Amino acid sequence: MPPQASARPEPSRARPGFPVPVPAQPQRRALYKLRRFLVRMGPAYLLILPAVIAMLFVHYIPMAGGLLVSFRDINLFAVNRWYEAPWVGLDNFVAGLDPSGFLGARFWRSLWNVTYFGAVTIFAGYVIGMGVAILLNRPFPLRSLVRGLILLPYITPDSVAYSVWRFIFQARIGLVNMWLMKLGLIQEPVIWLVGSNAIYAVMVAAIWKGWPFAALVLQAGLQTIPRELYESAQIDGASRWQQFRYITLPMLAPVTRMLILVSILWNYNAFNQFYVMLGKDPGPSADVPSTLILRETFSTFNFGVGTAMSVVLMIVMLLLTMVYLRALRAAERGQA
Amino acid sequence: MAAKGSVVAGHGHGGSGNRKRRRGRGRAIGGRILFSLALAAVLAGVLIPYMWMVSGSFKSSIELQASDVTRPGLEPSWIPRQPTLDNYRNVNRTVRILDYLQHSLVISTGTMVVATSIALLAAYALSRWAFPGRNAYVVAVLSTQMLPGILFLIPYFILFTWLRNQFGLQLRDTYPGMILTYTSFALPFAIVMLRSFLDSIPVELDEQAQIDGASRLRILWSVLLPLARPGIVSVAIYCFIMGWNEVLFASVLTGSHTRTVAVGLLEYITAHEARWTMMMAASIIVSLPVLVLFSFMQRYVISGLVSGAVKG
Repeated sequence: MPPQASARPEPSRARPGFPVPVPAQPQRRALYKLRRFLVRMGPAYLLILPAVIAMLFVHYIPMAGGLLVSFRDINLFAVNRWYEAPWVGLDNFVAGLDPSGFLGARFWRSLWNVTYFGAVTIFAGYVIGMGVAILLNRPFPLRSLVRGLILLPYITPDSVAYSVWRFIFQARIGLVNMWLMKLGLIQEPVIWLVGSNAIYAVMVAAIWKGWPFAALVLQAGLQTIPRELYESAQIDGASRWQQFRYITLPMLAPVTRMLILVSILWNYNAFNQFYVMLGKDPGPSADVPSTLILRETFSTFNFGVGTAMSVVLMIVMLLLTMVYLRALRAAERGQA
Repeated sequence: MAAKGSVVAGHGHGGSGNRKRRRGRGRAIGGRILFSLALAAVLAGVLIPYMWMVSGSFKSSIELQASDVTRPGLEPSWIPRQPTLDNYRNVNRTVRILDYLQHSLVISTGTMVVATSIALLAAYALSRWAFPGRNAYVVAVLSTQMLPGILFLIPYFILFTWLRNQFGLQLRDTYPGMILTYTSFALPFAIVMLRSFLDSIPVELDEQAQIDGASRLRILWSVLLPLARPGIVSVAIYCFIMGWNEVLFASVLTGSHTRTVAVGLLEYITAHEARWTMMMAASIIVSLPVLVLFSFMQRYVISGLVSGAVKG
């Protein structure tokens, strides 16, 4: 984005007819400079002010407050006077992170669960998205209709999509078990949404919901690859696999990098699919940090520990964001 | 691709071209069949859950409860044995889904109006002023989008509680509170997207209007707004859909006065009773506004989503 911005002529400097007499004394010159700065840039700060206030109130102030809360012992009764709650040092972090404790074990397990979940869904979503993007890259009748249809999962509200999948995965009346029985793969209906199977059921639903976005981004990427590359490769006798391996994949590398990184970051947000399909408590083998923290905070009313766990999650996310921004800059340098 | 390859080969070797072309045509037909099969598989994968949803919404709850995958002849069927509209008629009986629809409508529309206006002002500043701190501001805005919502939720809830006890300011379970929350969620993406739309409008138009004596807000309103209309509409739709779909904050911050459809939909399944057929009917009703809005502005929303995703 910065390259585009600097490519445009700077409007403030391009504005015609601004009087620039240079005052004699240095003090007055400084004052004059300040005034000129305010006249020029003041409106910009006024214009972003509402957005800044809204984001301060919802994001930055709570984030700072969360850091404070994570060092205090806050329960349901103390929450009204949270600023008077006792400091407990690192106790909340110990309670939330100690792997030998109940909560700590659950927390690390949930972090592992969400990572495992993300690895499978992102990989599968990328592969399917790539396949479909290539499939739809050649013209055929009704292509734009098909392109619209495959976006349906992506735009369907989360709670609707995952409710339908919850219905599909029901043991006695569900579509999945009906088909598996008909194919003879199972003799007894499988309980999908409880216990160790649950995370796989959620994975299937999340892949179904997630791949259209990968396909969408990769389709846009495919359209930037010059046709001549394929034509000359065909003349050289390259097979279709070779064309994919040595033209398509390298040309899509920047898009892929962004897509995967964004997906990894979003993955740690994972909440809706687990909450809608499995409820407030998905059980240890399908618990993710969001559901665990939400329960610990609003069912057990252990605000301090819940916040401490989310601070740890935030640190994980910040590290990932730094990697992300660095990759973004590298990708932009590569494009320019 | 196969057809194209055979044509190239045919031109390349004049003498043996005939045989090759014939083989190429056979391959092309095979390729076309494979292609159609793959396409059908993709569409089936996408559409089957929707078909199951529609089918379920027309079944009677008695039929569904009686069905059982283990008993041949009693398996749940695609075509309802006795199709009924009862689920749609009684959709509001056990769960106040129509009230929730109204709440969602107010909150999403409010978010749409407030977020789009605020984002437009900020995008205008980002696009037309090279003010110090501009890049830092963009980074600060975008970085919030990368952090999980659960991080803000707990301290945000405490903030709400504190404001109520200290100043009597009720934000939890009120429309203004929810609209403020969702506005802030929608802002990062909306600002970045609107900025790229405003960037594409030549700055000479601003200068022309300025020479004619228009104020800055006047320029935004009369010059930029009409030209950026497609971008503004797609941002507005994005904001609306965001508010319509959000689950995490709605599950904690809304109560009986503002419960949204995204959360209310889950009430059909309780510990005592699973009203799947009604839930499917409600699911269709809940998705309709989103699908209509999306198909209305498909192209703009898609291009915006892609650029937003690629740019962060």
